[in-house]
Amino acid sequence: MKPSLSIIFFTVSSGAGLGLLALLALADLFDHALPSAALLQGIALALVLVLAGLASSVLHLAKPANAWRAFARFRSSWLSREAVFSACLVPLALAYGALAWTDEAGPVSIVAALCAMVLSWAVLFSTAMIYASLKPIRQWYGWWTPINYLLLGHWSGAVMLLGLARVHATHERSFGWLAGALGVAALIAKIGHSRAIVAGAPDALTLERAIGVNEGVRPPGMTVARARLFDVGHSHGTFLTDEFGFILARRHALALRIAALTAGFVVPEAWIVSGAAGAPLAWLAGIACVGGLLAERWLFFAEAQHTVRLYHGAPRT
Amino acid sequence: MRLGLVIDLDTCVGCHACATACKEWNASSPVGGPLSDYEPFGPKPSGVWFNRVRHYEVGEYPENKTINFPMSCMHCVDADCVTVCPTGASYKRDDGIVLVDQDKCMGCNLCAWACPYGARELDAATGTMKKCTLCVDRINDELLPPEERQPACVLACPTHARFFGDFDDPESEVSRLTAERGGFGLLPELAYAPVNQYLPPRELKAVIGPDEVKALLERGLASLASPLIRR
Repeated sequence: MKPSLSIIFFTVSSGAGLGLLALLALADLFDHALPSAALLQGIALALVLVLAGLASSVLHLAKPANAWRAFARFRSSWLSREAVFSACLVPLALAYGALAWTDEAGPVSIVAALCAMVLSWAVLFSTAMIYASLKPIRQWYGWWTPINYLLLGHWSGAVMLLGLARVHATHERSFGWLAGALGVAALIAKIGHSRAIVAGAPDALTLERAIGVNEGVRPPGMTVARARLFDVGHSHGTFLTDEFGFILARRHALALRIAALTAGFVVPEAWIVSGAAGAPLAWLAGIACVGGLLAERWLFFAEAQHTVRLYHGAPRT
Repeated sequence: MRLGLVIDLDTCVGCHACATACKEWNASSPVGGPLSDYEPFGPKPSGVWFNRVRHYEVGEYPENKTINFPMSCMHCVDADCVTVCPTGASYKRDDGIVLVDQDKCMGCNLCAWACPYGARELDAATGTMKKCTLCVDRINDELLPPEERQPACVLACPTHARFFGDFDDPESEVSRLTAERGGFGLLPELAYAPVNQYLPPRELKAVIGPDEVKALLERGLASLASPLIRR
């Protein structure tokens, strides 16, 4: 798949913002509330990340004037669900921030925190299911995609949460453990997903199956046969080759994987373990984490192989 | 109703007449068109097509065969392109035809990702998704003579390799051909239940066997030539 920068930025930025918001609310509900100034900063950061992501997602649309129609098919489309949940989440997060501003405690604040948490999960899960429900893309279809999206979003959010906690010198220890554990879990999920893709390779669709060699599309008298593309039929690229024809060079893949692992996991984990206080290092860890996850998400797209590639001559997906 | 096409891979010669006839009819269609072209006279001509013909070689020489493979929307029974559409622009009609409402589409590409056959192409000029309409503005047009109420690709095919009809009617030509010739839908593994069916190449059969040749020769050369010429 073509790695579309607007979607890559959207999923990573929103993912971090939603993870941060869910964790802030979770901490609030489980008696680890940040002081009101820190909570306000956290909600503001989460909202900026989510809104920047949503703005970026609109850039992906070829006809943004019709974007408002995306609320129409909540009952069938995960993209529509994502849009509806996001539209509910933003005013709710603003209300949650307003309550933090006024230092309001009590049932209203608890309800706001609970709603913010559940809606953050709903948006993150809907985003993931957009990709996980696409049967023509073997690398995305299935449960590994939502597991990864949820864990990676919470991991990057946890790094930011810990940054806030360290700057404001509160709950550093418990949030340190939380962030560290989420980082390990996210990395395990990432490795698990990669291994599942490799393990599923024998079942990958082939050009022969795509054009029906098993159904009798073969020379007379032969029961099995290999197929290859003879002529693609168009003189220059098409929408299909632009969108699905992307091929990732192996050495680029390795370099990106190392960058994603180092910036996305090793650097923030080292910062967590070091226990370093101070805003500059917290910013550095947060930015490194998001940068690493951008590389990871770029690979998520670049390594996905749509079945249309078979009809353009790819031997298998 | 379950309207769709049968494509005979045995007789298709890969001439692209179906694809160009499709482009010609639909470019000015108020339902499916326009089909924008980008740099049509430049060094890198490209554009939107509903129907594309690709060519494959199956097997190894000398036991090989060229397969000409036209592909357009399969008008799937379980069309994921419709399920994933957030705006409701993509819809499936009661007669089985899958269409895109050009006024509602926001060009998010998700339906193209959900289609395993590459049947949907984004039109960069209009910002909306384009796809085969099964010439819905021909097949229902009562101003056309009945024999012309068929998709443009079917009418254009010079080898009569394309057939249009209702697969829910077991007596229709498309149902009969599919049953008789072992027609199949593409990528059954993905369970989209594509309506369009492809007929595999026929097994080559001797027109007359060696015993018959001997018998005919005994009756003279003319009796042998006759069945060969008339086959």
